Amino acid sequence: MSVTFWIGFGIAVYIAVGLGIALMARRQLGAGVSEFFLANRKLGGFVSALTYSATTYSAFMMIGLAGLTYLTGVGALGFELTYLCGMFMMVFFLPRFWLVGKKYGYISPMELLSDRYQNKGVGATAAILALVFLVPYGAVQLMGVGYLMNGISGGEIPVVVGIIIAVVCAIAWSRIAGLRSVAWTDAFQALLMITVSAVVLGVVINALGGFGAFFGKLESAVPGLLTVPTAKGSWNLNMFIGLALPWLFFLISNPQVSQRLFIPKSVTAMKQMLGGFLIFGFIYTLISVLWGFGATLLVPGLENADLATPRLLSLTMIPTGLAIVVMIGITAAAISTIDSILLTLSSVWARDIHKGLINPKVSEKGELRVGQWVIPIMAIIAFVFAWWAAGKTGLDFMIAPLASAASAGLLMAVPTIFGAFFWKRGTAFGAIVSMIVGAIIVLVFQLTGCKPLGWWPGVWGFVVCVPLFVIVSLATKPPREKAEEFIGYLKGALKKGRFI
Amino acid sequence: MTKSAWAWVWFGLLLALDIAIPWFVLTHVEKMSAAFLFWTIWAAAAIASAFIIFLKWREVKP
Repeated sequence: MSVTFWIGFGIAVYIAVGLGIALMARRQLGAGVSEFFLANRKLGGFVSALTYSATTYSAFMMIGLAGLTYLTGVGALGFELTYLCGMFMMVFFLPRFWLVGKKYGYISPMELLSDRYQNKGVGATAAILALVFLVPYGAVQLMGVGYLMNGISGGEIPVVVGIIIAVVCAIAWSRIAGLRSVAWTDAFQALLMITVSAVVLGVVINALGGFGAFFGKLESAVPGLLTVPTAKGSWNLNMFIGLALPWLFFLISNPQVSQRLFIPKSVTAMKQMLGGFLIFGFIYTLISVLWGFGATLLVPGLENADLATPRLLSLTMIPTGLAIVVMIGITAAAISTIDSILLTLSSVWARDIHKGLINPKVSEKGELRVGQWVIPIMAIIAFVFAWWAAGKTGLDFMIAPLASAASAGLLMAVPTIFGAFFWKRGTAFGAIVSMIVGAIIVLVFQLTGCKPLGWWPGVWGFVVCVPLFVIVSLATKPPREKAEEFIGYLKGALKKGRFI
Repeated sequence: MTKSAWAWVWFGLLLALDIAIPWFVLTHVEKMSAAFLFWTIWAAAAIASAFIIFLKWREVKP
């Protein structure tokens, strides 16, 4: 039987297992918006850690990051580990989000901002930012699945078929039982993706003669890839900062992950979530980068670096069965991210745009119905973007830079989020102006390819939006009463839990 | 300084090292024991310091 048949068989088994888990999760689904979007804030530490990991780590890792390593070398490791270092800020933000989420009953991070700044326009602006910039991020997950199935099948499975499979699964996982089905399928998918990627990396390193020989071969064959800036000029400091800065604040700027900070059921679950994720992330990053380095030795000279993983998996040294399981693992990584994005965007639309701006009197049932309809609509938009971008070549259309570009737009909400927790003087007007101006700068520079002084769009946007937030806030009137109450509550609660 | 301020200073130091060591100190060392090893140890240190802080958290009812 052909490889294509076994790929189809493997995908069918994966879908069946995922569907089974999602339907099991549905049995526990209660009523209401909080239940659908946040699993009623009652998730345990183990599932929270795995859903956080699976949502964060996507096709970006084993395809995008591996491809970036293949093309540009060790700078890709530094870039990704800078994100993980940014997770240190969780010691500040995780307890703060969790405490105010429980106290005030926020559904989305944008609702938190609206309430804190006492202005629904703040949440709506952040929501529009998310809706605009998460589309390309969702699309790169779909592209990853398309490339992978196409590469492993030797071109027999068109890229668009892989994209369609990913879209359908993501819609199903998120619609069946909201966060419960997303979190449970995420847990299954996270375990699958890290296990199979570790096994296949072991096979490759073993074939190259073990770690010592592998490192020796890298030093003799591609020494220029082991330093920054790279000899052939791929990495320079501007590119590093341009890619790493949006990643550094990913934990608060990306609502699909910051919404996860509302869900642990207790402080113990919160600690397990953070610890589990940090360990998972460290291991998975090293696996993905070493995998990319393995590809530079075994499949050199590829025109599209995002194809490094599919090409490596199609080598005869990797048994076909294992290659298909790895492909399913990476597919799982992609789908577990996009279903979370779809669910978050649906909650953001329902709560912050529909209820916040369009129809404030909508019932909880009506709000939920709106959110559920947004899921397939956003999926179709991401599908169209993925289809369009999958035909393009060049660094800007590689998975890693495209993903980082999406986060560059979301970065513009970071001063507003910092202000909400740490600066009583921050105002709604400062928040709205800084987000809008920053996002316009990012979009214009991104679309025109303009990089004055060599600085990337996200850096320019950030450099402008931070002082703008401060200056406009100082010139306008803050919501003093709410700021005192919000930050005052946190001060007391943080002390009680020995948070910092 | 408060514990919180110390944690922010430590985080700033980590970010400064992220740029200074690989980009300026190890820039011409084309070995796995250079930037690759640095970033691996550096990230492990960041993770370990987060563990030191959050393991002290205790249960509260919001």
